[in-house]
Order: sequence, then structure tokens, then C-alpha cells
Amino acid sequence: MHQGKLELTPDEWRARHREEIERAEGSAAQCEDGLPLKLVYTPADVSPAAADIGFPGEFPYTRGTEASGYRSKLWTISHYAGFGSPRETNTLFRKMIDHGGVPPYMALDLPTQLGLDPDDPMAVGEVGMTGTSVTSLADWETIFADIRLQDTFVGTVINAPAAVFLAMHVVLAEKQGADLSRIRGNLQNDILKEFTARGNFIFPVEPSLRLVTDTLEYCAQHLPSYWPLNVCGGHFAEAGSNRVHEVAFAFADAFTYVEQALQRGVPIDRFGKGIFFLMKTNHTDLIEEVAKFRAMRRIWSKRLAERYGAQEPETMKCRILGHSGGSLMTRERPELNIARTTMACLAGVLGGIQLIGLRTMDEVFGIPTEKSELIAIGTQHVVAHETGLPDVVDPLGGSYYVEALTTEFEQRVLEEIERIDAMGGMVKAIESGYVRKTIAQDAYLTHQASESGRKVKVGVNKYRIDEDEPPRRPYAYKPEEECRHVEAVRRLRRERDNDAVAAALARLRETASRPAGTANNLVPPIIDAVRAYATIGEICGAPREIFGEYAETTHF
Amino acid sequence: MTERQRPIRVLMGKPGLCGHDRGIVLVVMALRDAGMEVIYSGRHNSPETLVEVAVQEDVDVLGVSVLSGAHMGLCRRIADGLRERNASDILLLAGGFIPPEDIPAMKQFGVHEVFRDGARLDDIVAFIRSAVQARAAA
Repeated sequence: MHQGKLELTPDEWRARHREEIERAEGSAAQCEDGLPLKLVYTPADVSPAAADIGFPGEFPYTRGTEASGYRSKLWTISHYAGFGSPRETNTLFRKMIDHGGVPPYMALDLPTQLGLDPDDPMAVGEVGMTGTSVTSLADWETIFADIRLQDTFVGTVINAPAAVFLAMHVVLAEKQGADLSRIRGNLQNDILKEFTARGNFIFPVEPSLRLVTDTLEYCAQHLPSYWPLNVCGGHFAEAGSNRVHEVAFAFADAFTYVEQALQRGVPIDRFGKGIFFLMKTNHTDLIEEVAKFRAMRRIWSKRLAERYGAQEPETMKCRILGHSGGSLMTRERPELNIARTTMACLAGVLGGIQLIGLRTMDEVFGIPTEKSELIAIGTQHVVAHETGLPDVVDPLGGSYYVEALTTEFEQRVLEEIERIDAMGGMVKAIESGYVRKTIAQDAYLTHQASESGRKVKVGVNKYRIDEDEPPRRPYAYKPEEECRHVEAVRRLRRERDNDAVAAALARLRETASRPAGTANNLVPPIIDAVRAYATIGEICGAPREIFGEYAETTHF
Repeated sequence: MTERQRPIRVLMGKPGLCGHDRGIVLVVMALRDAGMEVIYSGRHNSPETLVEVAVQEDVDVLGVSVLSGAHMGLCRRIADGLRERNASDILLLAGGFIPPEDIPAMKQFGVHEVFRDGARLDDIVAFIRSAVQARAAA
């Protein structure tokens, strides 16, 4: 008779298999962030409250933001690309639009991201290296020549000078006679993570935050279809943070932006739905990654509804864009990176996120080859069309393991957010160096685990096969390209109406010197400066004189 | 050969505009754990500033990290700067996203060793110890 076994209690089960279970539990398992893993999960691991997970498309959205999941709308297969000159970018954009696509997110070079003109002494050797060089409205006009902004979604990876890019977009849309209420696009605009992870900051923390609030307020007033903010957690993960910190720091940043905008008097339902989260979707601790996405939706919707008084469901929905981590790609046995990204894609799909971008197997060597780009996109097509996964919403919902991990992960994130609140909030946590130190410590632990072999990295510290590096396309510095940009900006400064530029910059300086607030929103004077063809160096330089520059923590 | 009296002093620097510093911060921590005195410059330094600080701080080693692709020009300016200040005895090391075919030219103009991404921290520590020891003995 075997039927009795179905009614075992967990204790009876342990007793029956004691030796085998104890042997297995001798090697304690845990996720990289320390979250302990049991050998098996049972109903006892899911509290009655946590077991009530509700439905997709319903608060608190644990099971997904939309009732029909991927069956009515597949996730977006993302494409992020670096370009050459504004003219080459225009050619590429027009080609993609002609083929019925949307332009990829625009990558910019470092001088542009740091508000420097191409002829700035600090820009030598960096112009056009990591993306397009955009110096003034003239470049924006070139990039979007023969493209109707009203019909196109434009995503720009820009942070410290995000307001300048918003202004260029507004001015060009006006020139095209577009209806501003229909302009769609997205700025990254998440300056707080620049101080702690990505490193492209200009002004100190407080005035930087003022600029973000100004853009949120301006878009709430004038560009209701525009998404002015992507809050990034993925950059923490790439800088080395563990998963709990990835999410906690992203939320602590997001709550800071929301609270600033609320203080400014912008209603939450006017700007909340323009906020997206850019996270990692990784294959490591795969089930925890799924739990992460589910927990994120729960935390965000509860906070927006309960703390900030959001009324509209669209405001409360945590929309997540996921990219697989470049730092997990290995130069050793690079084909295995396809296996890694396939599972990263799976994590995002099982987690029900809105967009997925995968690294190519060869970008650890340089610019991805076209073949590897096609493999990265094709990998997503296989997951989308061959696995059947999109047919059922929240496929892992109800699993004891997944529900227990979702709740445990949520708790750990909330505890970290409380810790930051106790420090006086995220601005204080950044300025004191806490966030940087925490990320550095996490990165150090991860690196030591890998270097010592405690954490297996296939092809690197185990199952190594010595091979030659494959042929690659390195990023090459083009001095003639830099010269062209330098000449162009000098010509621009000779040919434009310099009195108009000086007057606009004086107004910008004056507004920046007044206290932050609706009456002193910096976007309108920046728009005037852009319209006069002031350069990015000049437009960022004016507030630089008032605000100064950020001095970062260098102690670890 | 005399035993060195002081701990090895290192300036770790980010020249240029590249903001990625996961790697260099790991090296800072590893060198410190190995008993060296380490100064970290933070991001966005001109090559000239790093040379100046290295000379002022009387360091044994200047380690720089670049992942933006601008490493050739930046490292050359640092190597030239050290020579101009008669400070070529400072061991110049570079790390980051550096294609192997650039390494011979970098060594030619004065970079002593290049540690690409993925280098082992233990190897970097060991290299610095033996290279500084060798210089002291020379």
C-alpha cells in the first residue's frame, strides 16, 4: 500500500529520507545575495497571505501588469546600438522606419553625456567613441531629417544633460508643426545611479535632482505621451551589486524622484506612468530572478497606491525593461554566452517583463558582428515562438518555491529601503558613500568567489578549453571624425546669432540661481537656449557656474 | 639589495571621461588588502592631473583604467607626462577594455603591463610586488 505517503507531513518526509536529506543539506545552498535556499519547498513555506497572489492585471500585479500577458502582446525585443555621425544615424533610423520598425535606443558619446563640446580639452580622443556626438540642435535636425517626430518613438540614453535632449526634441517637434501631446519618446534621465554606478554625472546631487523634477513637471504639463524617466537598477548589478541591492537602490532612487515631483505639486497620476525600470535579466540564480520581477511589481504598486495616493492602475503598474548582463559574458568559450542569454531571456519571460535585450556572444571582444546580433535576436524568437511560454500568464505562479522566494525577496528589499530611509534617504546614502561602498563590497565578494573557484564560471574557472580569440571588430578611434565635429562646432559658433545665444544663456543662468520650483523650471530657458543653437557645452556650462560639479567619494 | 622600508604606494586613476569603475575599484580593494597604500582618483581626470598627483604623492605605481576605447591617446599622454617630469621610475600599468593588438604599442610608449578585463586580482598584486621590488634592486 503506497497511498499513505501522500499524506506525509514535512517532518515525516524528513524522517523517511533523513540520511540523504542531511547529506544534501550539508552543502548549504544560497543565492549570490545570501538568500538561503531550501532543499524543497512545501505549503508550509507560503503563508496564507502570500498564497493569495490574485490575478494578472490586478493590484498588486504580482502575476503581471496585464490580464492577458504575452498572449495579446509579446514582450518587445530590444535593440540598442551605437552609431557614427548624426548623418549615419539618420540613414540608419530612416532605414529602420521604412522597414516598419522603431529606431533603436540612441547611444551617445561621452563628451555629449557629460555636457562637453567636441573641442573641450577633456573631449580629446573621446568624440564619437561610444555613440553619436550631439552638440546642438543642428545635430538633432540632421539625425531626424525627413523623419516625422510625431510618428516616431525616440529613445535616448542620456542622463545628466537629459533636459537639453528634451528641449531639442520639443524645439524640433515645434518646427515640424507636430502636436506636442502626441510626441512619444523616452529619456533615461536617472541621474542618481550615475553618482553611484554609471559615472556620467555633472552637477552635485541636489541640483541634479532639480533638473529631473523639472523634466517630470514639464512633461506632465506639455508632453503627456512622453516617458521622461527610466529608473535603472541594472547599472548597479553591472557595477557589481547583488540582486537585492539592485532592486532596493533602484526603488530608493525612484521614490526620491516621485517624492520630489509630488513636493513640486505634480499629481502622481500625471507623471507616474511615464516611469519605467531598466533592470538586468540574468541566468544566474534564475528562479530568484523570476521572483525579483514579481516582487518588484508588488512593491511598486503598493507604494504608489498606499504612500503616494495613486488612483489609476496605469500609474501603479511597474513596467520593467530587462537586459542580460554584459559582465556575465565570458571571453572564454564565447559560444556558451548564447546558452547564458537564452536562460536570461527565459528568466525575463517567466517574470513577465515588458522588454528584453540580450547581449551578443561576442561583444566582450568589440563591436558585435552582424551574425552574432542576428543570433541574439533569433534566440528571443525561439523563446517567443517555439516554447509555448507566452500562452500562459505567470507560468510559475503558485509554485511554493517561487512564491516563498518572491515574498522573501520582497522582505529583503523593503528592509534595505528602510535602512536607507533611516540614513535620511537616498541623497544622504549617496553623499555619504554608503551606496558606492555597498556595491563595491558586493563586487569584491563576487570576484573573490569566482577567482577562488567557489562559484563556478564555465570555461573560466572550470571546464576550461584553451582556444584563440575569434576575429573581432575593435572600437577604433577616428581622429578625422573628431576633427569634423570640432570644425562643425566652431563653424556653428561663427554663423549663429551670438547675441541671441548670450541672452538665452544669461536667462538660464539667472533661473538656475533662483530656488527650485515651478516658476523657476529650467526646461523653458533651456528650450530657448537650444532654439538659439547654443551648444551642449554652453547649456550645461551655464548652470555649472551656479551649481558647481559633483565631487565623488573615492574611499572604499 | 635593500629591503624596502615603506609599503608600496599606488595611485589608481580613471583618465578621460569613462565612468565604468567596477574593475579599478576591485583592484583598489585588492591592493589595499595586500597591504599597499592606495589612493583612488575617482572619475573624469585629465592625464596631466594624474601625472601631477602621482608625482606629488611620490607613488611607486600609477594604475589607470579605461573602458571607453580612448586608452591609446590617454595612456600615451600619461607616459609622456611621466617622462617630462622625470618620473619614469613610476610603474605605469593599464587595465580595462583593451584589445590585445593594442598592447605592443602601449608597451612601446611606456606602459609596463596591461591587465585586460578578466585579469586575476592575485596576479595583479603579485606583478606589482615583484616589479616594485625589482626596481628597488635596480
